Amino acid sequence: MTLFGIPILTLITFFPLAGLLLVMGIPGRRAGAIRIAANVIAGLEFLATLGLLLGFNPSAEGMQFVERADWIKAFRVQYLMGIDGISLLLILLTSLLTFLATLSSWKAITVRVKEYYLFMLLLEVGMIGVFVSLDLVLFYVFWEVMLVPMYFLIGIWGGERKLYAAIKFFLYTLFGSVVMLIGILMLYSHYHTFDLPAMLEAGSLLPIALQSWVFLAFFLGFAIKVPMFPFHTWLPDAHVEAPTAGSVILAGVLLKMGTYGFVRFSLPLFPEAARRFVPLIVVLALISIVYGALVSLMQKDMKKLIAYSSVSHMGFVVLGIFTFSPMAVKGAVLQMINHGISTGALFLIVGVLYERRHTRLIADFGGLSSRMPLYAAIFLVMALSSIGLPGLNGFIGEFMILMGTWNVHWVWAAVAATGIVLGAGYMLWLYQRVMFGRLGNPANETLKDLTARELATFIPLVVLAFWIGVYPKPFLEIIDKPVERIIRIVNPASVPQGPAVSALPATGPRAAGRAIEVP
Amino acid sequence: MDQSAALSGLRYLVPELSLLGVAAAAMFTHLFARKRGRRLAGFVSLAGFLAVTGLLVLSPRTAEEIYSGTLAADGFALFFKLSFLVSTVLAIILSFRFFDVEGSEPGEIYYLMPLAVIGMMAAVSSTDLIATYVSFELFAIPSYILAGVFKKDRRAGEAGIKYFFLGSLSSGIMLLGMALVFGLAGETNYAAIADHLAGGGNPIALAGMILFFAGLFFKAALVPFHMWAPDVYEGAPTPLVVFLSTAPKAAVIAILIRLMVVLFRSYEVQWTLILQFTAVITMFWGNIAALIQTNVKRMMAYSSVAHAGYIAIGLAAWSEPARWAVLFYVLVYVIMNAAAFGMVLLVRKGGTFGETVDDFRGLAGKSPLAAASLLVILLSLTGIPPTAGFMGKYFIFAAAVGKGMVLLAVAGAVNSVISVFYYFRIGRAIFFEADPAGVPLDRSLNPRLVLAFAALALLVFGVLPSLLGQFAISSVLGR
Repeated sequence: MTLFGIPILTLITFFPLAGLLLVMGIPGRRAGAIRIAANVIAGLEFLATLGLLLGFNPSAEGMQFVERADWIKAFRVQYLMGIDGISLLLILLTSLLTFLATLSSWKAITVRVKEYYLFMLLLEVGMIGVFVSLDLVLFYVFWEVMLVPMYFLIGIWGGERKLYAAIKFFLYTLFGSVVMLIGILMLYSHYHTFDLPAMLEAGSLLPIALQSWVFLAFFLGFAIKVPMFPFHTWLPDAHVEAPTAGSVILAGVLLKMGTYGFVRFSLPLFPEAARRFVPLIVVLALISIVYGALVSLMQKDMKKLIAYSSVSHMGFVVLGIFTFSPMAVKGAVLQMINHGISTGALFLIVGVLYERRHTRLIADFGGLSSRMPLYAAIFLVMALSSIGLPGLNGFIGEFMILMGTWNVHWVWAAVAATGIVLGAGYMLWLYQRVMFGRLGNPANETLKDLTARELATFIPLVVLAFWIGVYPKPFLEIIDKPVERIIRIVNPASVPQGPAVSALPATGPRAAGRAIEVP
Repeated sequence: MDQSAALSGLRYLVPELSLLGVAAAAMFTHLFARKRGRRLAGFVSLAGFLAVTGLLVLSPRTAEEIYSGTLAADGFALFFKLSFLVSTVLAIILSFRFFDVEGSEPGEIYYLMPLAVIGMMAAVSSTDLIATYVSFELFAIPSYILAGVFKKDRRAGEAGIKYFFLGSLSSGIMLLGMALVFGLAGETNYAAIADHLAGGGNPIALAGMILFFAGLFFKAALVPFHMWAPDVYEGAPTPLVVFLSTAPKAAVIAILIRLMVVLFRSYEVQWTLILQFTAVITMFWGNIAALIQTNVKRMMAYSSVAHAGYIAIGLAAWSEPARWAVLFYVLVYVIMNAAAFGMVLLVRKGGTFGETVDDFRGLAGKSPLAAASLLVILLSLTGIPPTAGFMGKYFIFAAAVGKGMVLLAVAGAVNSVISVFYYFRIGRAIFFEADPAGVPLDRSLNPRLVLAFAALALLVFGVLPSLLGQFAISSVLGR
């Protein structure tokens, strides 16, 4: 499928880059023109990604819109792009959140406006690129390209301790990335290609011991990004210091890349190793769920609270993925989208208050619902979506994860369920302290309700929250095929019928600990 | 050898001979033109270098031995020759501005640089002990003078003397190694010696190799022979450091490769081990020492030590992909490092240029173009895509993993993370920190153009490494 004669995946990846060059041409003092241009570009990009839906066939097997060309011939690196339902949803989430984040920055960013939008657009190139790349080196390039603009977004437009937070974010993720790079190179030395579909076609060629090492190398890169306990310490710093839009993208998209990496690479490429490490990863995921929730309860800063709640929510996603049950993995993928919607919205909600009052401390607020009724309503919807109230999106994802997990191991599900209870606790308590009670602080008496522009940033998210909550079928249909394909590789026993992946030896869970013969 | 062979061999020496002409022209211009003569000599030299670059790019890619196997005229040598020219052209452009500001211009540099480059060009082609040593000294001696030529600055004098004494010592060590090897084989030609050394395991040959390598490691500033580098790079005039920190290093790497794959091919196990060890300590030492520096030149001196370590990984993992990787990295290193030192010419402080990290504060506000160029250069030095620095590291690590040296690649990867700390300190100063008083931007365009060129080249080669790769692949070793 092409759009204006350009293959669509290339178009949606590099359109923000073209926009960046355009914005670069506008003189820095014309901030208004820069804002308009950046918003228009981000909006057009979202429309272009919606165009993907026109040509996408949810019932087709394998990758769609595939583009392939030689890139670095001597090292067999290809320019290989393609998407399936999982990437499709994440791309849509990315372009939507980037657009909303850009829109939300209209008034919030007053210094170095031009640079800000340049970095936003560059960030979008990296994020979309990560989700469309099927060549491991191409994937890696986008994966790292993304770090730099985020580093600057935190470091220039961030809060008080922005320098510390920015470099900490950068170092943590870079460390995970370079270890993953070595893993990619080790894969290459066995497969002699970086082409992901071709690798899956060839089946698992790595002896189990080596497979475990490479799995761990990838795991480190992804787990830091998710972030999972004990690699999560960069997250609260980065979130608290980042500007609102930075937090939205960080929570909404960047964290998903870790779990996307698990689904896209870790499970299908290293099925034996993935099975072998299930106990370790599930324990870390459960710790993330409970620990994240407990720490959230204690926070005084709203942003920090939501940051830690992300650790908890992403723990659910990882748990769902590593049960290898189709139900839970589908729930996990859906929950990635849900978390992007609800947490993205919550960061925007905090941003609205911060813009007006320049504080994020819960203690500074109280009784706001009487001054900002519209704001209160949206906050409530998103808080409930985050908690997982039936009828809203969060419920569907968490329910599917818990259902799938319960069938595998009831104890895991039971522990994870405490995370939901705690989640209701910290979120409702937050809402109560900020929105209800007496309007004690005189500074809050003059607070204005949402403007039209702010409301516009929330409406799409609210609509999506209800849509997924009430009628998730279209979303689940899109991810149905790709998830089953991955499960067939990693856990063939749980998918009874369907064509087996040809070159893969039929190893059930029982064979997990044993090395398989390489043909 | 008859006369016609001597004459036909000259065909391959056209770049060298042209440079000799350039050096002579620059020298006489300097001697006879009064007052403005120094700058005029600079222009003569620059024009000459650009012309020779054109000659090189157009010259045929051959793989022949000339003068009875004394010199090899091959694409491999051609590639390295090109990297010297890039380095020299950038250095001369920066020299113009530097010596304008300093108020005194040692015109000698404009003919010393071509002379040194002739030596390097001969060195990368030579496949014979005597030719190697003579050409090695031919570029070493002008380098000592270049380091100390700026008499106004006392640090430069110290740098020159230090470089000269330690350099001579290392030449002596290298000569001793050569003597041992010659004594064993009774030949001077690399290939002929290699035939005598076939089988390996001779302790004298091994001792000869170690001494030979030690001399070369010194010039390449590999740990533990790097001590001179920070002092010399800090003390010598910045534009000359651009030259001294890149071209001789590239030349030495070329010599080293010919030794590894031809002369000492029976000692592959041993040199692999030596290079692995050297690579690891060089990377760690260079990067960790750079962490505590506040002077940009000194920091970049250690950074260049660390980069030699990355190249050493490629040498240790020598193979088809490694050759590609090393050649790619060498040219990228030349561009990156020239820019890393060139950035010192951006800001003025007092009568001279600001050299500390703090002097770069707020540069993003003062010159967005320079700041953007520096961002690309710093990312490339760190090894972040989409820059050539990333591609270079990626190729090097790929070669190492391909040879089964996974831990070596891990060490390299960990080092790129360490290097973030100091490269990003400069980045932080440029983009995040407030502008200090009394450090204005230098108004000359020269350094900004050099940096913009470097940034553009690093981006282009980072996105399309095959452009450079086509050239590197067509390079072949003598045999």
